[in-house]
Amino acid sequence: MYSYKTGIPQIDQATGGFDAGTNLLILAPSLSCAEDLAYSLTRPLHGEYAVMLSTNERASEVIDQFKAAGADKQFVGVIDAITKSSTPTVADTGRFMFVTNPTDLTGIGIKFSQMIETIFDGTFSGKETGLFPPPIRFCINSVSTLLMYRKLEVLYQFLHVMTAKLKKVEGFGVYILNSEAFDEKTVSLIKQLMTIVIEIKVERSDNYFRVMGIRGVNADWHKFTVSKGQVVIAL
Amino acid sequence: MISSGMFGIDDMLGGGIPEGSRVLYSLDPGVDGQLFMISTLFSVLEKGQSCLAIIPHTTVDAFLHDVGQLRGKTIQAKDHRIAFLDSVDRERIQRSTTTREAAEREWQARINKLCTDNKVEVIFGYFDIIYEDFGLEKGLKLLSRDCCPPDSTIIIEHLNFEGDTFLESLGVRKTFDLILAIKSSFRPLPHFNYFTILYTSWSAQLRRSVPFLVRNGHIVPYIPKIVVTGPPESGKSRFVASATELGMSVDQSGLVGEATTVAMDFGWLHWQDFDITLYGTPGQPRFDPMLPVILNNAMGVVLLVDATNRDQLARARHLYKIITRRHVPLVVAANKKDLPGLMSEEEIRKGIGTGKNVPVFLISAHQKDDVRAVLESLVNSITRFIY
Repeated sequence: MYSYKTGIPQIDQATGGFDAGTNLLILAPSLSCAEDLAYSLTRPLHGEYAVMLSTNERASEVIDQFKAAGADKQFVGVIDAITKSSTPTVADTGRFMFVTNPTDLTGIGIKFSQMIETIFDGTFSGKETGLFPPPIRFCINSVSTLLMYRKLEVLYQFLHVMTAKLKKVEGFGVYILNSEAFDEKTVSLIKQLMTIVIEIKVERSDNYFRVMGIRGVNADWHKFTVSKGQVVIAL
Repeated sequence: MISSGMFGIDDMLGGGIPEGSRVLYSLDPGVDGQLFMISTLFSVLEKGQSCLAIIPHTTVDAFLHDVGQLRGKTIQAKDHRIAFLDSVDRERIQRSTTTREAAEREWQARINKLCTDNKVEVIFGYFDIIYEDFGLEKGLKLLSRDCCPPDSTIIIEHLNFEGDTFLESLGVRKTFDLILAIKSSFRPLPHFNYFTILYTSWSAQLRRSVPFLVRNGHIVPYIPKIVVTGPPESGKSRFVASATELGMSVDQSGLVGEATTVAMDFGWLHWQDFDITLYGTPGQPRFDPMLPVILNNAMGVVLLVDATNRDQLARARHLYKIITRRHVPLVVAANKKDLPGLMSEEEIRKGIGTGKNVPVFLISAHQKDDVRAVLESLVNSITRFIY
């Protein structure tokens, strides 16, 4: 089974990378490095693909972020839930797909399936490496925004389906949730769908993370920064 | 009748959807099934009927663009009679009302007004957001004859997170005249889409499941793999050639001059609005290691036997056992019915070891009608098979 390297030495050394089918929640306050960490974890390594569902940034901005993190954009697909509301005529391409707004879970689900199918067909990038099943990193940025548009119960069901699909295709899922914006019940329900939780806190402008759910990795807080897609841990 | 706008589906429904029906297209999350309702929408618009599209998940412009992209055709105000209630209307209703009841009344008033002003005959509604806003009962009431014109046809698309039990409960309550569930599976093929006609109020037909492809803006029912197997010289290559419009065999001349298949037969046909691909196996036992590969992902199997050759029955029995382990629909075709020394159906059944549930056809593989009868039976079994 494929292992997804995180680029975080403490995790990769202890686990050898995340197992295929892992779903990881980044639980973080506003103005933290959560997004940078998500890009770092979702950045496709050689032979891998990344799919980002973006509810906050346009597809072009997502690609810029991946490029800044050192990713080859030909292996990155974006489902953009922003652009179509202002530009209704924007057309889907193989790697960029659009839904009108984050309300449209039907559209999001279909675009996700279409993109995964293209990756499985071997026609996504034109530079396929032939690994099968193709390793796919998937990120929802962010679950918080989806929760603004749909009820918790519905979103729970939607995420249940998405996390199950990720397991089926042996992918790796990353989901960002704002820890300050939702009550305990919401956070705990979303956590239920995850294999691993990375919690972030900010103290005096410094970011700290701790990892929960991995055997052999303690839940101590680590001070960190993200630079050019690499997680740097302060010793 | 209203045409569903989809190849093959009207036939399965007995000619289409009766006017005044209430129809549910239920989509499992992630299944590429939006074209089902859009196909029906086009069919109605092109017939000149007046429609209302309730699209609370999107704006009119984005919807029209999406429809154009999906179907390869656009909805034109000058050619088509269509009114909309979209996400902008939903936001306005949310802003202008303070309670759920008030919002419900406002929706009802707007639907009524649009239906009256535009003499709407068919209503198309995307249900899951209405369901979320008002709950199941009130949501269904908004898209029922309580709120819409009494003789109107109502077509609803719903993103179903609640699975088959939800649909079964709607079927039991007879909430809809037609429930068509659109689903996907990773078996027998990855990213395999199919639809199931779960319930119709106007016919007592059995539940039917049919795989489909989306091609050039249309839903095309298809069967990606039917395998034709059997003992040597039972007529498999002839069967595939008679059945298909396009195809080829990988054969080698035998010592006595007869060609024998050494890899496989392959053929394609478009029949009864289905796209079907046939794979014929070699019959010689030395090719048996290939059988699992060819049988992999098959949706149905034709076991061909020579009805005049008793010596082949042991080999046919062996193949029958291999096939039945696969749990796929199976039909036995006993070939060469026009030659002397024909065995009876009972003798063939006993020789192969089939039960009464497996259809046995006496055929001549040279007769296209005989071959098509075998395929018809198998396609019927496949469409009733629960994946």
